[in-house]
Amino acid sequence: MHEIIDQLDEKRHRAALGGGQKRIDAQHAKGKLTARERIELLLDDNTFEEWDMFKEHRCVDFGMNEQEKIPGDGVVTGYGTINGRMVFVFSQDFTVFGGALSETHAEKICKIMDKAMQVGCPVIGLNDSGGARIQEGVAALGGYADVFQRNVMASGVVPQISLIMGPCAGGAVYSPAMTDFIFMVKDTSYMFVTGPEVVKTVTHEEVTAEELGGAVTHSSKSGVADLAFENDVEALVMLRRFFNYLPLSNKEKPPVRKTDDPADRLDHSLDTLVPDNPNKAYDIKELILKVVDDTDFFEVQPDHAKNMIIGFARMEGQTIGIVANQPMVMAGCLDIKSSIKAGRFVRFCDAFNIPIVTFVDVPGFMPGTAQEYGGIIKHGAKLLYAYAECTVPKITVITRKAYGGAYDVMASKHLRGDVNFAWPSAEIAVMGPKGAVEIIFREDKGDPAKLAAKEAEYKAKFANPFVAGARGFIDDVIMPHETRKRVCRSLAMLRGKDIKNPWRKHGNIPL
Amino acid sequence: MFKKILIANRGEIACRVMKTAHKMGIKTVAVYSEADKDAMHVTMADESVCIGPAASKESYLSMDKIIAACKQTGAEAVHPGYGFLSENATFSRRLEEEGIIFIGPKHYSVEKMGDKIASKKLALEAKVNVIPGYNDVIDTPEQAVGIAKDIGYPVMIKASAGGGGKGLRVAFNDAEAHEGFLACKTEAMTAFGDDRIFIEKYIEEPRHIEIQLMGDSHGNCVYLHERECSLQRRHQKVVEEAPSPFIDAATRKAMGEQAVALAKAVNYQSAGTVEFVVGGKDKSFYFLEMNTRLQVEHPVTELITGLDLVELMIRVAAGEKLPMQQADLKINGWAMECRINAEDPFRGFLPSTGRLVKYMPPPATAGVRVDTGVYEGGEISMFYDSMIAKLIVHAGTRDQAIARMREALNEFVIRGVSSNIAFQAALMQHPRFISGNFNTGLIAEQYPKGFNAADVPHDDPAMLVAVAAAIHRQYLARNATITGQMPGQEYKPGSKYVVLMGSERHPVVIKAAEGGWDIELAGSTYAIRSNWQFGQYLYQGTLNGQPVCMQVERRGSAYRLFHWGVQADMQVMSAHAADLLALMPVKVAADMSKFLLSPMPGLLTQLAVKVGQEVKAGEVLAKIEAMKMENVLKAERDCVVAELLAKPGESLSVDQPIIAFK
Repeated sequence: MHEIIDQLDEKRHRAALGGGQKRIDAQHAKGKLTARERIELLLDDNTFEEWDMFKEHRCVDFGMNEQEKIPGDGVVTGYGTINGRMVFVFSQDFTVFGGALSETHAEKICKIMDKAMQVGCPVIGLNDSGGARIQEGVAALGGYADVFQRNVMASGVVPQISLIMGPCAGGAVYSPAMTDFIFMVKDTSYMFVTGPEVVKTVTHEEVTAEELGGAVTHSSKSGVADLAFENDVEALVMLRRFFNYLPLSNKEKPPVRKTDDPADRLDHSLDTLVPDNPNKAYDIKELILKVVDDTDFFEVQPDHAKNMIIGFARMEGQTIGIVANQPMVMAGCLDIKSSIKAGRFVRFCDAFNIPIVTFVDVPGFMPGTAQEYGGIIKHGAKLLYAYAECTVPKITVITRKAYGGAYDVMASKHLRGDVNFAWPSAEIAVMGPKGAVEIIFREDKGDPAKLAAKEAEYKAKFANPFVAGARGFIDDVIMPHETRKRVCRSLAMLRGKDIKNPWRKHGNIPL
Repeated sequence: MFKKILIANRGEIACRVMKTAHKMGIKTVAVYSEADKDAMHVTMADESVCIGPAASKESYLSMDKIIAACKQTGAEAVHPGYGFLSENATFSRRLEEEGIIFIGPKHYSVEKMGDKIASKKLALEAKVNVIPGYNDVIDTPEQAVGIAKDIGYPVMIKASAGGGGKGLRVAFNDAEAHEGFLACKTEAMTAFGDDRIFIEKYIEEPRHIEIQLMGDSHGNCVYLHERECSLQRRHQKVVEEAPSPFIDAATRKAMGEQAVALAKAVNYQSAGTVEFVVGGKDKSFYFLEMNTRLQVEHPVTELITGLDLVELMIRVAAGEKLPMQQADLKINGWAMECRINAEDPFRGFLPSTGRLVKYMPPPATAGVRVDTGVYEGGEISMFYDSMIAKLIVHAGTRDQAIARMREALNEFVIRGVSSNIAFQAALMQHPRFISGNFNTGLIAEQYPKGFNAADVPHDDPAMLVAVAAAIHRQYLARNATITGQMPGQEYKPGSKYVVLMGSERHPVVIKAAEGGWDIELAGSTYAIRSNWQFGQYLYQGTLNGQPVCMQVERRGSAYRLFHWGVQADMQVMSAHAADLLALMPVKVAADMSKFLLSPMPGLLTQLAVKVGQEVKAGEVLAKIEAMKMENVLKAERDCVVAELLAKPGESLSVDQPIIAFK
């Protein structure tokens, strides 16, 4: 008995050391924490329950049988709590075989994912892996696919978050790619399907790993990553904060946290937010910050497709998702990137019972060959599809422009918007007065006086919220300063909302 | 008394005048430019009239439009505020011709005092001390050198029509006098269209001390003591106080009496100010000029005398007699004013414009007065002065006034545009300012390379540490209230943390207490009590029983605190997390020296270079229009253009890269 306990202690000690002190020091020297240190920062103190610490790989080829086996096989798995709320975690250990994924490594991940789905609990993956354990060949590849399959099965059932804290290349990228959110650490993490060397051989492009797939690239250019952080510690601290917004599974309501911010708080400075000049921009983030609880807004993808803002906030303590056009960037128009960005976010909120508040100031879709050749028709349709399919409470506030098809897309009444408000500055029309008049009266284009008169007429008729109001497309015209109060009350009214889409195997979103 | 007056001004002074008018039961008319249609002074007035486009020349300086507005509204009198038409003799004469009363001095007084050479002659006749100098027009540089020698170096060469620091040179020898005269003459011609130059003795360690006067139409004139305005930046007043920490009762009396004598010489009938330069070594004082208007800094005089200068101006203009005599005028306590400007002290005091996203001046309480002309959600436009408010305090002693000002500056929240609050706070704790031993050169001497964050050390950094710890602990306490926690595993915040401030590491023990937290730090306990709520900009409460107020913003995983002019980013975490954070590499900020960055928000009007072009130092790279001004950006060194990162017509934000160099 004693002997067994001594062995146990010995095994635990060895497992805790991962690839050994030398490799731990090397990991630190790279500015990275170890797999276990990361878990310590992510979870509440002393709440981590580790599983499969003694699991070992079964590979005997290419010298793998000659090396000492390291218990745990390069990934630390288990569960614990973040602010008391349960979460399953896997954390890849770069100090053990470079974090390479083996068949057994994959089995450990699958085990916690299966359990997470059974109990209804999110999964957080801390990725730091050189790739497949190539000594194992197809066994490792099978391991990846086993994880992929579980990612897909868990999608929409429990939230899945990936934090990329080291390399993540080749097939490995597709597991994070299927999770709900991807966060990255600047300078120490990268993600790509093929690395810089292959790129150089095939396309003769010279590019560094950081430029090709670093945190900045993915959080600004590609939109693959939702956020980029300065270092491991910041990333983990912010991930804890992010986790507070999410429900544990699709069977639960989003969490509620105490707030002292009154639901009926008015903010009169919002009455001057929209400038008189319709061509002048303003910052929609000011509206978001002044409407939500405690001026606390957790923005996602802040550096990608900046003409659309998405993120989480709370109202009366309850999580909501925010989608807003940003007039400061490209006049807030819809384009390929912003449609995909917002569409995916809307679907996440819908899957996890998070009400959506949409702020609309949209002049239309971005015109041009780049957009049409890029398939704006299908990509724009993603956002339309997402809003139309969505059954969670949907509240829409039109602050200024809601023109054309973009009006329909942005959580309009017609797409089952529950409460649709407009500010007095709202203009709900097919297009701006100038453009409309140039089309309707195109034979008068030599008569600027007549066009100006017609433009004024069109403006008087349509550049207001009343035409839409007369048809019931707008439930009420509200003063900007009472936006918080009216949205809070609407959310409260909608707490018991229960509608279901017709049964089907799944819809066919225009991918 | 008047039934209705028009205020021919904008901003804080228009609001301030209206306040008094309303108190006196007088109706008010505001005039405004198109840029000001939603401005505070328009909202405050009983009636308002739009007088044209944003440019002052076409609105606030348009006499025709203002007179028309008077007629349209039936206003019987006009208060001009300061600036704009306040010292324009033609304007007051024209009003007089139209039968409208100008609430200010008579045009003949304004005219006589308006010219520097003429006013100096008048002062001599009234037996007012004037700076030794040559009071006639000087024609040639040779003549200038001769005169300078007679007076004795150092001398000051000045444009007769000068002001605001333009057309001014100091010469310490013949060569400098020669060169300075020519330079001044050219500058004066360009700036004022008047190249008359005069020369006078240069006063060393000069202090700017001025006497407030009030006269009526019955021949009475009193002095309301002095104001010390020596804290100046580029000849613009920054801080003013009354009384002066420098002069004694005898000097005060002598200055006051000379000022009154001068006013009487021009039959002065309103509020006016006689400016003196006072030698910091010997208290000798010399007349500089007379300002024939209400001054920006008049509130400090109001607070120490208990008078309402605007009310007196209105009453005197209506023909009433001054209600007091010289002997009635006492000095009660100490008053101090900080000008709150929309400018960025950390970027060479560049004016800042835009939307006031957040604007919360300290509440007016006993001893704190805020004269403001803007509101939250309002716009700071590029067309007018950058001064948006005046923060004025009153207390028993100078030290108390400084302490009160420091607290009031802590409470002043401005977001959306930059403000000079940090700079003002730095001045309020500057040893030379506190000692009272300073002169007009203080700011230039102490901040020769501009103002930097490092110029403001915190008196007691432990306060920042304690407040950061308390805020963090409050966030953790709220995290514990989140729903959906594992039964039996609910989150409980700990008590031991580490506060990181820059590279400093402060271990703390935080204990919950009634209404706050007790923070143990380096062997001492800091009891923090506050009813701060999440998201509030002001963290107000007590620290060991003393009132404390800091501004707080959560930025990522850090808390940014603002206190006494200091901006500190604080992080709070467990000791273990801090150990791990120490392993993280310190990242150096990206090297931006290979970029041309926009120094201000504005419109890119021109890119003068092409990709691949070789550029020599000093060549024009781009032009930016901001504040209706064209700013030319030149190459600082020889370089080659690698990439153009912005297009002409694009709106630029501060620090936005415009051009990349190889």
